[in-house]
Amino acid sequence: MLFQSLTELCEKLSATTKRNQMTENVADFLKILDNEEVEPAVSMLLGRAFPKWDQRTLDVSWATISNVIERLTKTDWKEFSATFKKTGDVGSATQAVFEVNKVHRQAALFEEPLTISEVRKVLEAIAEATGQGARERKERYIESLFGRANPVEAKYLVKILIGEMRTGFHEGLMELAVSKAFSVPLKTVQKATMYTGDIGEVAIICKKQGAQGVSNLSFTIFRPIKPMLAKMAETLDEPLREYGGKAAFEYKLDGARIQIHKLNSEVRIFSRRLTDVTRSLPEVVRQVRQEIAVDKAILEGEVIALGQDGNPLPFQHLMRRFRRVHDINTMLMEVPVKLFLFDALHVNGENLIDFPYLARRQKLKEISGNIPLTEQIITDDVDQAKQFMRKAVDQGHEGLMAKRLDGPYTPGIRGKHWFKIKEILEPLDLVIVAAEYGYGRRHKWLSDYHLAARDEESGSFYMLGKTFKGLTDEEMEDMTQRLLEIAVRQEGHVVFVKPSIVVEVAYNEIQESQTYECGMALRFARITRIREDKSLDEADTIQRVRQIYEKQFEKKSRLNRQQYREG
Amino acid sequence: MKYRHKKNGELDLFKIRMSDAKLLRDAVTAISTLIDEGTFVIGPDGIKLRAMDPSRVAMVDFAMQKTTFDEYASDQETKICLNLGELLKLLKRAGKDEAVELYLDEGTGQFVITIRGKYIRTFRMPTLEASEEEQGLPKITFNAKVTLTTDGLRQSLEDVALVSDHVRIETDGEKLAMNAKGDIMGANIELKKGSDALLSVEATEPSKSTFPLSYLSEIVKAAVATSDIVTLEFSNDMPIRLDFKQTYDGTLVYYLAPRIEVE
Repeated sequence: MLFQSLTELCEKLSATTKRNQMTENVADFLKILDNEEVEPAVSMLLGRAFPKWDQRTLDVSWATISNVIERLTKTDWKEFSATFKKTGDVGSATQAVFEVNKVHRQAALFEEPLTISEVRKVLEAIAEATGQGARERKERYIESLFGRANPVEAKYLVKILIGEMRTGFHEGLMELAVSKAFSVPLKTVQKATMYTGDIGEVAIICKKQGAQGVSNLSFTIFRPIKPMLAKMAETLDEPLREYGGKAAFEYKLDGARIQIHKLNSEVRIFSRRLTDVTRSLPEVVRQVRQEIAVDKAILEGEVIALGQDGNPLPFQHLMRRFRRVHDINTMLMEVPVKLFLFDALHVNGENLIDFPYLARRQKLKEISGNIPLTEQIITDDVDQAKQFMRKAVDQGHEGLMAKRLDGPYTPGIRGKHWFKIKEILEPLDLVIVAAEYGYGRRHKWLSDYHLAARDEESGSFYMLGKTFKGLTDEEMEDMTQRLLEIAVRQEGHVVFVKPSIVVEVAYNEIQESQTYECGMALRFARITRIREDKSLDEADTIQRVRQIYEKQFEKKSRLNRQQYREG
Repeated sequence: MKYRHKKNGELDLFKIRMSDAKLLRDAVTAISTLIDEGTFVIGPDGIKLRAMDPSRVAMVDFAMQKTTFDEYASDQETKICLNLGELLKLLKRAGKDEAVELYLDEGTGQFVITIRGKYIRTFRMPTLEASEEEQGLPKITFNAKVTLTTDGLRQSLEDVALVSDHVRIETDGEKLAMNAKGDIMGANIELKKGSDALLSVEATEPSKSTFPLSYLSEIVKAAVATSDIVTLEFSNDMPIRLDFKQTYDGTLVYYLAPRIEVE
């Protein structure tokens, strides 16, 4: 099948918002594909170069892509910027550039149009180019793809390369389309996707083996499963009410959630986003090998970073471990981690996800050896729950998880079987000092706001973070107007304004930061309301922010690198 | 040759020995500039490999006749697909004048490389799934044929690379010209008939084509170790054929597609 057919389908999908029609179109397309094209086509339609479980990445920056576009088109980027401003879409902007400017192209030895299989092959070559000269090779491959592409194909190649399709056709609809195309019940398709972690692979099995074959699918060890998610609850009463009076509460640790896969002596660890982080956590691997006696297991847990006093360190120090693959040994000394387990999805050939929570927890207890489980209580008494919450927060944790006693494990689903309850920090009143035009739907609006606090002494403003969360569409439109009226200058897509608008900002934590001059940054900042009633002088000061920041350490441990070095 | 016999008396698929590993190492280096994995066909007459790079812009056509080897035994064609980067790492372990022996361990499916020098080293590497596709050659009528020293070509390309990322190769039958135009700089190189670098030039009509240096320079750089003389064949806006004359009985030919203007 030609790649062009796939891009024509994408154009059709973008042109409609009718989900039925989209699903219909994709189903028809899937039916006429050859077997080996099914998974690549499904992946590409969802904006993925490879299946979801696949750990390969393209590692291509926009700088690389734009270099190639520039070489082929000799564009001065005016066309690009204009279209990008109009549509907010890199793919469409690329298409525009190619329509106007394509002056050179790299021919192929055999001039044939691109096929789906060929595009996949080149994507593989891009991903596999590593080591010396990798960047040049990647560029060469991308150039050859664009060289053979028509403008619409170029548009979607860019989208696949950056991993953003924006056709409105998402994974849920793909499950529907696969179900329709190969006459397999939707529930069966969904379950199989959950087990295998990828709808593309399910699609080809549907095509080859039908419903029967698909229902035989199960978890594969070393292929990560989408984690089950929790809804936010404001109070501890809420879960108790929801679950009929009685619930399990666990500490919600301020760490990183991990999925542990074990097959005999081999252990692999995946992050919440399903990336393989095995190499970042050697001591966890060792511990699992030592303590978990069963041959096959998929378990979930949380690792937290510990300070010298044994209290948890802020989350950001732990994340450094995940990003760093070299130098792990230094990090091991600097940031020791501790593992707590909280769920078991598979043990020795038996899938546990349909088991009730209590049974899974029991199973976990039996096999976890000396690895601690997260602190837990089961209660019907809200006061007891509140006490437990206080204990958790006092020990530097985030809050509690509430779990339905007979709830199953629902991968990838944010349902009411689990709730998270966090201690809320009091919001800050901050000043908007600049704003950026957004992407996609938000591209017309100044929708990414730079938030700052005033320095009591000097009167100048110190930035603490950016956020595009919290305002409604109307509020954003309105805010854009207001900001443009007080704009002082524009640099690229950032508009700097005269500090005058005060907003109330909620956040989860104040982190240490090298990005901002004041050395602090808000984690997960979101605007909760616009404080029309507050003037600049009434906004919170940087001194107040620092006070709150310091207060965090009454409960949390602080990373003291100096101590480690000397010790 | 007694070493061809396995313990049970059957013959190995092939067993090959080359007294100077450098020849093989340079050939693999030259091939690996275009592809990461390659399928070698090991047959009664020698070893061949023909493959396009993943982007289909360039092709390498390689052959090493059995006379190149000190010992060569293969009754039938065997296809062996190897990761060339890994293969190269192992071949680089062979020092000057050290011999290298190759065979396939059918039991494990592993490719076995033995380096015999001051001491004996045996490496094993996995074989990959061989491509079944027979790669055809592009059918092109060439109007121009130019023979020059490989070093002359390499130096010219180094010159033009200073100003641009592509080069126009041009001939009227009298001289070979290489032109590059960058955003602000340009370079023109002329090799006239009778000059040291240019050995022969002929053209049925004036011909010119533009090629990406990202490929062309890499190809020439990789092939220069194996060859002193190269023959270029090209036409207008058509792929170029580069035939690097080998010091042994064999071929190292590349095809490279042009960069073309779009109307």
